Amino acid sequence: MLDIQHVDKSFGQEGPPVLDDFSLAVAEGEFVSLIGPSGCGKTTLLRIVAGLLTATSGTVAVAGVPSLGPSRDKAVVFQHFNLFPWRTALANAAYGLEIQGMSRAEREERAMQWLVKLGLERYAHHYPGEISGGMRQRVGIARALVIEPKLLLMDEPFGALDALTREHLQGELQRIAESTSLTILFVTHSIDEAVYLSDRVIVMGTHPGRIIREFQVDLRRPRYDYNFRAEPQYAAIRGEIWSLLERELAITPDEPLVDATAGGVDTRS
Amino acid sequence: MNVGRILSSPLGLRLMSLVGVVVVWEAFGRLNPRVASYPSEIGAAFVQLGFVDDALVPAFATTLHGLVVGFAIAATLGIAIGFAMGRIRLVDLILDPYVSAFYATPRIALVPLLVLWVGIGFELRVTIVVLSAIFPIIINTYIGAKSVDRELLDAGRAFAANGWQLLTTVVVPGSIPYLFAGLRIGVARALVGIIVAEMTAAVTGTGRLIIQYGRFFETDKLFVPIIILGLFSIALAEVVYFLQRRATPWARVERIR
Ligand SMILES: Nc1ncnc2c1ncn2[C@@H]1O[C@H](COP(=O)(O)OP(=O)(O)O)[C@@H](O)[C@H]1O
Ligand SMILES: [Mg+2]
Repeated sequence: MLDIQHVDKSFGQEGPPVLDDFSLAVAEGEFVSLIGPSGCGKTTLLRIVAGLLTATSGTVAVAGVPSLGPSRDKAVVFQHFNLFPWRTALANAAYGLEIQGMSRAEREERAMQWLVKLGLERYAHHYPGEISGGMRQRVGIARALVIEPKLLLMDEPFGALDALTREHLQGELQRIAESTSLTILFVTHSIDEAVYLSDRVIVMGTHPGRIIREFQVDLRRPRYDYNFRAEPQYAAIRGEIWSLLERELAITPDEPLVDATAGGVDTRS
Repeated sequence: MNVGRILSSPLGLRLMSLVGVVVVWEAFGRLNPRVASYPSEIGAAFVQLGFVDDALVPAFATTLHGLVVGFAIAATLGIAIGFAMGRIRLVDLILDPYVSAFYATPRIALVPLLVLWVGIGFELRVTIVVLSAIFPIIINTYIGAKSVDRELLDAGRAFAANGWQLLTTVVVPGSIPYLFAGLRIGVARALVGIIVAEMTAAVTGTGRLIIQYGRFFETDKLFVPIIILGLFSIALAEVVYFLQRRATPWARVERIR
């Protein structure tokens, strides 16, 4: 479904490589998480796949078709939600269909179906500024799913939420993933979240960003029905990822001065 | 009824301050009749000018006509130019020097030149209003278009919005607070512009009343158009705030004075 081949990325002419020869294939219906130290290029990779950024070299294909920019078979859920503050929850959710030129009645009907599925029907006519962070990200998820994408790209979608809300939305995302054939590429910095949600966890190293290991997670699904954390496989994978990341952080102890996802630029030479 | 509490409320304080100023002004004016008129005299002049001589309504209508036409042109052109400069680099490069230079030039210095070009009639007043109002509108719209949240542009692009769709669904709504700041400054400048035009070259409308009554030291009459203009400019600002609240139901509109 998603085929990333030999992607390199550096910013500017002289910039250091942010991604180095990154290749990854994701099967249809597969849930793959990317985990790695901050600044290792997860967001950059996701933006390249989304078509918001062009790779310095390498190719991305979705369903066998080269992906050269944003398209309606891909949808993005952002870390900071990126909802339009001037649109109600319903109008936010309907945004993608509006861009595709669908009539108002039809797009709002479809958007409403997703809002209902995500428990938001009472808030359909609220503005993002009037609802909680958890509800905002539900709207963000609805906005992405309404266009019925083949590939869902999620950049730390629950990172800005409190623990309880996060757990709740993780469960809902699993239900959605089960009931569709959606392929999901999910960025996280939580080992627990990666193992809980994924069929496969990709561990990235930094400077330059690259894959250092990947883990197949065979825990029985659905995982919200039982205490998956008590399974030996959970503890084993979690431990291994932990020590890999610890080693990565030991090699490069310096954190980026400015979080690039916030629009800043890392000024280190 | 708690009279003390009513008097110490914001409205009560304002009313008391107003009453105080009027009383002091009245007393001072009666003691120094050569220096300035006082409220009771001004009230009488208002009744005379407004209802007996019928001088106020036609003069004010003339002013309003030039103001509305000029401001409509300034707002339309200013917003369009501001967005074009904010979104199209070439337009920015070409227009920026002129906008900056004009913005810094006192517009009143242009009056003699404008008289030469468009005469001293309606066109002159409209031209001066446009020149007074358009630059703050252009510049604020431009800043708004430039400062649209990059993450929101990303969201629009991620859903495959094209350039025009990004403009209409992200840039324009994201710029509305800036746009209204420009309109608010612009409308105040427009009012100054039209009065300057009416007091100098065009000599008509409300500006003419001020010149006329000032020339003969009729300070009681002179205060009538001045007070009307003061109240009118407050009303204009309120209209802009009202429109902004209507246009941005998602936002709390801050009042910047
Ligand atoms: N627009 C940009 N210009 C310059 N450098 C950038 C830009 N975006 C990201 N980077 C750099 O690329 C590296 C990876 O950033 P990012 O993909 O945001 O990492 P992650 O999401 O894994 O934390 C960082 O060192 C960051 O400073
Ligand atoms: Mg990131």
